[in-house]
Amino acid sequence: MKTAYLGLESKRALRNPRFLMFTMIFPVVIFLIDVAAFGNGLVPGSKTVTFAPYIMVSMAAFGAFMAAMNTGARTAVERAAGWQRQLRLTPLKPTGYLVAKAAVGTLVALPPIVLVALVGIVVEHVHLSAGGWVQVVLGVWVASIPFAVLGLLVGQLATSETMQVFTSGLMIVLGFLGGILIPVTVFPNWMQHIAQVLPSYWLADVGHSALLGNTDIGTAVIWLAGWTVVLAFAVVRRYQRDSARV
Amino acid sequence: MLGTMNDTTRAAAPGRAEVSAGAAVSLSGLRKHYGEVRAVDGVDLVIAPGEVVALLGPNGAGKSTTVDMLLGLSNPDAGEARIFGQTPHDAVASGTVGAMLQEGSLLEDATVGETVAMIASLHRRPMPVAEALRRAGVEDLAGRRCTKFSGGQKQRVRFAVALVCDPHLLVLDEPTSAMDVSTRREFWQSMKEFTDAGKTVLFATHYLDEAEEFADRVVLMRGGLVIADGSVAEVRSAVSGRTLTAQVPGATVPAMLALPGVRKADVRGQRTELDCEDSDAALRALLAGYPQAHDIEIRALGLEEAFLALTGDTGEATR
Repeated sequence: MKTAYLGLESKRALRNPRFLMFTMIFPVVIFLIDVAAFGNGLVPGSKTVTFAPYIMVSMAAFGAFMAAMNTGARTAVERAAGWQRQLRLTPLKPTGYLVAKAAVGTLVALPPIVLVALVGIVVEHVHLSAGGWVQVVLGVWVASIPFAVLGLLVGQLATSETMQVFTSGLMIVLGFLGGILIPVTVFPNWMQHIAQVLPSYWLADVGHSALLGNTDIGTAVIWLAGWTVVLAFAVVRRYQRDSARV
Repeated sequence: MLGTMNDTTRAAAPGRAEVSAGAAVSLSGLRKHYGEVRAVDGVDLVIAPGEVVALLGPNGAGKSTTVDMLLGLSNPDAGEARIFGQTPHDAVASGTVGAMLQEGSLLEDATVGETVAMIASLHRRPMPVAEALRRAGVEDLAGRRCTKFSGGQKQRVRFAVALVCDPHLLVLDEPTSAMDVSTRREFWQSMKEFTDAGKTVLFATHYLDEAEEFADRVVLMRGGLVIADGSVAEVRSAVSGRTLTAQVPGATVPAMLALPGVRKADVRGQRTELDCEDSDAALRALLAGYPQAHDIEIRALGLEEAFLALTGDTGEATR
């Protein structure tokens, strides 16, 4: 019963034009443009990593984070449309709804990662070890969980009108300051410190570590898990208040 | 008069106490206040399985608040609601009750078939999606997105959403508001299969004609209270009356009540207001007995007056 529901919800999320634009097309286009612009040089501050694999990982992370966040944020529309009330007339419990939505957000984060990785292999001839690919694809995918939860929080706080302002703002803050859209190594020191607080930094770090052959991602796991817990707590609090008002 | 009416017309039905044991709906002492506003102020209602009941009342009468509490969407301040003996939450979880909420809209990025399938996938014992679509008369829309539908189409899709859990009780909150007359008729046509199967329906509406046509029983709410509860026949007879107002020198209440066809009389100085079941007979007698009567007006009873007529002078209506 739950699988059918998750399937239909995922189908809805994947079909959204904004979703396709920001999570599938945009990362691939930026990936290709950046590699064309920077060529085969080394990423600033690194002695071994070239631009192609580095930007590939950054864009996989970007697509995953946008997919996960946007899916959750779109619950604002459902809330405004009275759909959440309709769902309260089914056996789906409030926690079940939130968990299902977080799961869908995480599920739909996988296609952009795979797409960017395929473009990396086919177009940019990126070579990684098998373990490296697992860390880039599965690692970044699992690391996108906190962004699905972040999206849910936006969905609970925003209205269907302000939702896009929220997600665009977060895209800029997490994308740029987190070092996904600009390599964090070009940042001045103080900005690098800020970046290391943001979940998007650690999301990309899971993949970037793979390029260095570094499988020790313990710090990233702790940061991402911490963000997930804090955000999930906020979502549940907010959801309870929201339904208590009725 | 309220009591007698129920006793006489519903004599064939089991007594209220017996019914409440296996009642489809049982509300007792239901109360919900929002600050100073007494949205629902002590509602008792028992609906037997198989009844089709219209919950009538002007806006702000407390219909939607009552429906919300019945469905467990909001918690009563006092009293309790039961559906086939279950709490609202259990009834929802077991699929015993399906509902069409007021102004709920549909997901614009899903097709009709997907929308119904999504709700079905959450229920434990749903009917096949195709069956729900057929019963609601929207099979031809199954592959279409829920955008750009007419009001009537939207409501029929939402009807399919409410039906798919295969409920014993269907609760509809103003299902046909914003529909034109013919669409309304079509909607109720598709409802008929459900009620013919002996299922129970409670629908809130502010259309008296709709209640008359489709309900077995009418419950009128006003100011958070049930002020009348009776069969459709009773409503119809009350509605068939007219109100006659005139300036009648020398009128007294007993003299006016003695006129043929008059149910109720109100006299203030010369100004006389007669609630008539046969206004023609009353007018002839009035003019014969009081030739100087003037400024005569006769008009049909409004919804509220009809129900006030129903409740008679028990004081129930103005409590």
